[in-house]
Amino acid sequence: MRRHGAALVIFGAAALAPLVVRNAFLLDSLILILLWGTLSAAWNVAGGYAGQVSLGHAAFFGIGAYSAALLGTRWDLSPWIALVVGALLSTAASLVIGYLSNRLRGPYFVLATIAFSQVLLIVASRWRGFTQGSEGIPVPFRPGFWTLGFADKTTWVYLALGVALLLYLIQRYLEGSRIGYQLAAVREDEDAAQALGVASRRLKVVAIAGSAALTSVCGTFWAQYVGFVDPFYVFSLDLSVRFALAAIIGGIGTAVGPFFGSVLITTLETYLRATFGGIGAGLVGIYLIIYGCLLIIVVRVIPQGLAGFVGGLSRRP
Amino acid sequence: MSLLSVAGITKRFGGVLANREVSFDVAAGELVGVIGPNGAGKSTLFEIITGFYRPDAGEVRFEGKRLTGLSPDQVSRLGVGRTFQKLRPFQGLTVLENVMVGALQKCHDVGRARAEAREILERVGLADKADAYARTLSTGQRKRLELARALATRPRLLLLDEVTGGVDQRSIPGLIGLVQEVHRAGSTLLVIEHNMRVITAVAQRIVALHLGEVIADGPTEAVTRDRRVIEAYLGQAYT
Repeated sequence: MRRHGAALVIFGAAALAPLVVRNAFLLDSLILILLWGTLSAAWNVAGGYAGQVSLGHAAFFGIGAYSAALLGTRWDLSPWIALVVGALLSTAASLVIGYLSNRLRGPYFVLATIAFSQVLLIVASRWRGFTQGSEGIPVPFRPGFWTLGFADKTTWVYLALGVALLLYLIQRYLEGSRIGYQLAAVREDEDAAQALGVASRRLKVVAIAGSAALTSVCGTFWAQYVGFVDPFYVFSLDLSVRFALAAIIGGIGTAVGPFFGSVLITTLETYLRATFGGIGAGLVGIYLIIYGCLLIIVVRVIPQGLAGFVGGLSRRP
Repeated sequence: MSLLSVAGITKRFGGVLANREVSFDVAAGELVGVIGPNGAGKSTLFEIITGFYRPDAGEVRFEGKRLTGLSPDQVSRLGVGRTFQKLRPFQGLTVLENVMVGALQKCHDVGRARAEAREILERVGLADKADAYARTLSTGQRKRLELARALATRPRLLLLDEVTGGVDQRSIPGLIGLVQEVHRAGSTLLVIEHNMRVITAVAQRIVALHLGEVIADGPTEAVTRDRRVIEAYLGQAYT
């Protein structure tokens, strides 16, 4: 139980919060913390455990979000179906990227992923007949579980918590399993891993595909929760960076790290925007500057990430 | 039938001929040394056998199966292990986890792989370092780790690239003993080595390379007295 201590604190607090908190703004923040944490965890599967650092994961997030919007508005299909369709499309897309960039290592792989997400942004924002172009597209609200329409935020908290727990357990599995050790070997030194018989090319593609599918699932949930899909948001580089950043700040390659990172980043961002942002604020955008500076300080002071920092404290006699 | 058969291997890098029609066989149970001056093509030959480089001509067979054209991980899974001259431990993993990655090739159960890895660490004398991160090891310890990791894949042929290179003098006898112990335990070994004291202590047979070509191949005592080997590499007869 002890090794799950940090996760129990975070997920336990999230589970209890709706019993006490009735404030819609706070519950909304909680849902977003969980969702962004889950997305970071999905990124972590490839970026942290397998060392395949991508800055194009917004592509898969956007595919999942657009699946919910387009299947819902055009064919009146359930978001659960959109979830599966989005995950399949994202897997297919990731297999193509994985295959094409298989020989690319380090910065070249990162560039390939950025390029891919930018291509999808252009397609989504220009293909007016299908995606409604740059105007974006609303996701229909249809009450019920099958249509994922909940007016009540508490339901969303538990849904987000369920997905977060799933991702946490997937990561934990990766830490202790054969494939997990093999991925770690590929991350540390691909040639040496191959010399020990690890089929590194295939494993990298598997990790990226799994990560992409999970990211897409979160994209579907997010679109269904927020109710609107804007191509310039869902396919943005900002979003891709955010997935990576929360994992890095929280502790890359650790199961609880992405959630720590999300708690910090999402809270900070929401608080700063509420305090310094908004119309009528004296200095427009000052909150982003403060946000940026704080992130630099965190990375500078605890380069191993929050999870490593907390782990180090608890191990002390 | 020989365990490993290297036939007519030629490899060019631009205008440089790194290997030129290199041919030799290794029988099961042998311990063969590969010697030659810097740039003789020893390491290139290792990279070709293990699938990291593709030769321009010739082929390598192991237990009758063609290795040429296979990827390094396929070669490893067929039973050919190797160490790297430039050591490549998984820095961010512990010593035990490093060896487990090797053991997990054949063993799909993590618990069993951990037990196997512990046994191997015991054998190579790194048991007390099991939980240390690989990046904290000394060069001599890293050499042992490199060997342990390769052994964990249970190779039928093991290629060692400069096991004693860059190691302080006091650690060398221990490493020699280790290589001999591995050989006695039933492994077939192909060993690149610069240190003649080491090679004459362990190898029964030597293949000497010079400018990419095999210039001598025979029992250790004969090769160390061979005129061409002396001219090209030793400078004087090594006795």
